[in-house]
Amino acid sequence: MNCRECAEHLYEFLDKELTPEVEREIRAHLEDCPPCGEHFDFQRLFLDFLQARCRARGAPPDLKRRILRELFDE
Amino acid sequence: MSTATPATPAPGPVDEKRASFEREALVHLDSLYRVALRLTGNAADADDLVQETMLKAYRAWDQYEKGTNAKGWLLTILRNAFINEYRRRTRHPETVDLDTIEPYSVFSDVQDDDPQGTFFDRIVDDEVLRAIDQLPEQFRETVVLSDVEGLSYEEIARIIDVPVGTVKSRLFRARRLLQRKLYDYAVGMGYIKANPA
Ligand SMILES: [Zn+2]
Repeated sequence: MNCRECAEHLYEFLDKELTPEVEREIRAHLEDCPPCGEHFDFQRLFLDFLQARCRARGAPPDLKRRILRELFDE
Repeated sequence: MSTATPATPAPGPVDEKRASFEREALVHLDSLYRVALRLTGNAADADDLVQETMLKAYRAWDQYEKGTNAKGWLLTILRNAFINEYRRRTRHPETVDLDTIEPYSVFSDVQDDDPQGTFFDRIVDDEVLRAIDQLPEQFRETVVLSDVEGLSYEEIARIIDVPVGTVKSRLFRARRLLQRKLYDYAVGMGYIKANPA
């Protein structure tokens, strides 16, 4: 696998959407190729950052109460 | 009247329906709300949209096959309700030609100064959410379902009713656009030096 092919699978790899065979090939390439390894690390970091920032908040507490009241007449 | 009623009656069908709904549907309230908030763009509409989704879901609960993918099922209901009832009056449909957007990787700008992307650490929640809200709607919903709620390509494809390949390409562009926006913001704030190149 060359750098271009590796980069094409970047997000599928990070999203765990690849078959085990292709995933192995990517891993092997990343070990042998520091520039691709750095780029993948950067993208993984970005996705982790995104999730952490966006999942900090959930539904407001009174929304659940409203829904329970509406559904079960409480 | 004369016979003593047990303190806790055996659960009837209604109690069972309620219990399974609480166990399998209501546990996804936070996810539904986060998606609703990004789709509608305001808290009042997000509240209403989630409440309506839960109501529809409860009425259709017998049609849901218990123990399968409740989160995906609920998000499909939510998205359909959004498209039918909210989209028109909340945000205007995007007129951007999505194919003309050619995102390039931010990594090429930062690999010398900050290859680990430490500048991201300084960007706060609200700024990230604002950047997501500025994405075209199709990108925004894909990124929220994937990167915030952690759904698979297949699940997202089913919810928004497009081929898996479309999910992949939207995700690719959405992430690049988002990185670019946040990078530009970080440069503007002085968190990172602009790449002179
Ligand atoms: Zn390489």
